Amino acid sequence: MYRIIEHTADIGIEACGKNIEEAFENAAKGMFSIITNNGKIERKIERKIEIAREGDDEMLLVDWLSELIYLHDVEKLVFGDFRVKINDKLVATAYGEKYDRAKHGYGVEIKGVAYHMLEIKRNKKGFVIRVLFDI
Amino acid sequence: MWNGPLNKIDDYRYEIPKSYKGIDGKLNMRVPGMIYALPEMLPLIRKDNAPEQTANVATLPGIVGRSLAMPDIHWGYGFPIGGVAATEYEEGVISPGGVGFDINCGVRLVRTNIKFEQINKSIIKELTDELFKNIPSGVGSEAKIKLNKPQLDEVLQMGARWAVEHGYGWEEDLEYLEENGCMEEADASAVSEKAKERGMSQVGSLGAGNHFLEIQKVEEIFDENAAKIYGIEKNQIVVMIHTGSRGCGHQICTDYLRVLEQAVKKYKIELPDRQLACAPLKSKEGEQYFKGMACAANFAWANRQMIVHWVRQSFEKIFKEDAENMGMKIVYDVCHNIAKIEEHEIDGKRMKVCVHRKGATRSFGPDSSEIPGKYRSIGQPVLIPGDMGSESYLLKGTKKAEEAFGSTCHGAGRVMSREEAKRRWRGSEIARMLEGKGIYAHPASMVVMAEESPDAYKDVSMVVNATHGAGLSLKVARMVPLGVVKG
Repeated sequence: MYRIIEHTADIGIEACGKNIEEAFENAAKGMFSIITNNGKIERKIERKIEIAREGDDEMLLVDWLSELIYLHDVEKLVFGDFRVKINDKLVATAYGEKYDRAKHGYGVEIKGVAYHMLEIKRNKKGFVIRVLFDI
Repeated sequence: MWNGPLNKIDDYRYEIPKSYKGIDGKLNMRVPGMIYALPEMLPLIRKDNAPEQTANVATLPGIVGRSLAMPDIHWGYGFPIGGVAATEYEEGVISPGGVGFDINCGVRLVRTNIKFEQINKSIIKELTDELFKNIPSGVGSEAKIKLNKPQLDEVLQMGARWAVEHGYGWEEDLEYLEENGCMEEADASAVSEKAKERGMSQVGSLGAGNHFLEIQKVEEIFDENAAKIYGIEKNQIVVMIHTGSRGCGHQICTDYLRVLEQAVKKYKIELPDRQLACAPLKSKEGEQYFKGMACAANFAWANRQMIVHWVRQSFEKIFKEDAENMGMKIVYDVCHNIAKIEEHEIDGKRMKVCVHRKGATRSFGPDSSEIPGKYRSIGQPVLIPGDMGSESYLLKGTKKAEEAFGSTCHGAGRVMSREEAKRRWRGSEIARMLEGKGIYAHPASMVVMAEESPDAYKDVSMVVNATHGAGLSLKVARMVPLGVVKG
C-alpha cells in the first residue's frame, strides 16, 4: 500500500508494509506509479539487485530507490512488482518490462531521492516509509 | 506557514536575525539570513517553510556574509530553491544540497536577425514541430548519438568545447557561455561508472518537467543601450533553451549525497537537516564532490551546445538560409544550480569563497574579468525563464549584486503542485488557452501541458521587479513565447 504525497514543487510517497521488506517493495511500486502515471506494468523482465548496507535503514532505502532510478534511466525499464529481503544486505528481484510511453502513460522524470524529511517509522501494523523525490 | 521574524531593512530586503535559532545551542545561525522580496510577496514566501531553510543554511560551518534567498524562493531540499550562500574557502564546507540534483541546470539565449513581421503562425508551427523532432525531449529522452566511455570522459573534462570540436556549433559560441562552457576543476575520475552510463545516451537531450525550448519574440525593451550591445531589439525572434545535466548530473548528486552523509559524521558537523549534508571544501570528500560537480556542469554545457546546433539546423531547414546569415549567435548562457570558487568583498574584505547558487543566477556587473569583453561595459546578461504562457526576461548584472556575492533570481517558481494542476485543468484546455494568446505548444504529452500550466507558477515579472528594485540585476528586455517545445 502506498499513497502519493505532494508539495508545491515536489512529490513523494508514503508506503506501508507489515514488515520493512514489504514497505520497501511498496515504496518502489509508488515511485514507478509516479514515473509512469499509473500505467499497468507487466512481468516480462526481471533484474536481481543487491545492495550492501552501509548506514541506517533510511540510507538503504535511498540506495534501493536510487538503484531502480538508475536501471530505469539506463535500460529504459519500468518495474511493477518486487521481492525484497533485508538482512545484512538488501537482496531483491524487480519484475517489469521496457518502458512504452503509449502503454504505461507519461508521468514525471524523477531526478533523485531526497533525504529531506525522509522517515521510516514502526507502528502497531508494521512499517511506514515517507520519502520525497526531486523532480 | 512560517511565523519567524522577517525584519524589514528596506522595500526589497528582509532580515532573519542571527539570534533566531538561539544563541547558545549547537545549531545557532552563524550569520543572519536575508530574503529579497516585494512586500506583497511575503505572504506567499511565508506559506511554506523556505525561510526556515534560509536560517538552516546559516548554520553551515564557514558561511560568511549572510544566508540569502532570492524573491523566487521556495521550499527545496536542504537549501531553499532561490538560496545563495558563500562559505569560506579554507575553513568552510561545500554542500550538494546547495546545488541540487540538476547540476548546472541553466538557460541559453540565441538571437536571430529574423523579425516578427517576417513570420506567421504556420511558420511558427512548422518550426516548433521541427525543433520537437530534432531535439529529443520527454521522460527518459535519449539523445540522437550514443557516446562511448572515453568520449563521455572528454565531455566531462571539456564541456561545451567538446561539442564545438565535434561540429556542434561555432568556435565563437564558447566566449558567450558562463565559464566559457567549462569548469577546469572537472576530473572524470571523480564520476561513478553509473553516472557515466546515464550520461552516454543523454548528451543532447532536453529532458522533462519544467525544461523547455522556446521560440520567443522580443516584446519590450527597457534598456536600449544594453539591448543593443547584447544584439537584441524589439520584435526580434530569439530562442531560449532551458535544461541541465540530465541523468548524469542527477547520479553525481545522488552518489555524493551519500558520500557527504558519511562525511558529516566523520568531521563531526552538526546539521539541522540531513539534506544539508556537507564536507569541508579542503577535505578529500569535499574536493571529490567539487570535481564531480564540475564534470556535471561541463556535461550540461555540452548538452545545451548540441541543442543549439540542432536549433540552428532546424531554422536552416525551415528558412532555407544559413544560420550565420540569420545571425544566430549566442547572447549568453547562465547556470542556476552550481557551486563555484569566486572572490568577493565581504565585510570590506576581499575573500576567496565557495558560492552556492541553487535556483539563483550569477549577475556580475560591469568591468568583471569573468564576462565577455563585448559586455564588459554593461555587465553580463542574466536570463530569467518564465512559464510557457507568459514571458521571460533578459537582465543585466550589476556591481550592486556584489552584496549577494554577484547573484540574482532564476525564474518564477511553482505555486501549485503538479497533481493539483492536473486536477484543475486538462492539457487540451491549456493548449487552447495558449493558442488564443498566439502561442503554439508541442508538448511530449498533454499531461505535461496541464502540469506546466502558466497559472501553476508565480508571476515572473514580480520576481524580476524585486531584483530590479533591489539592484541585483536590471531589466533589459522582455520576451514572450510564440512556439514552445516541452519535455
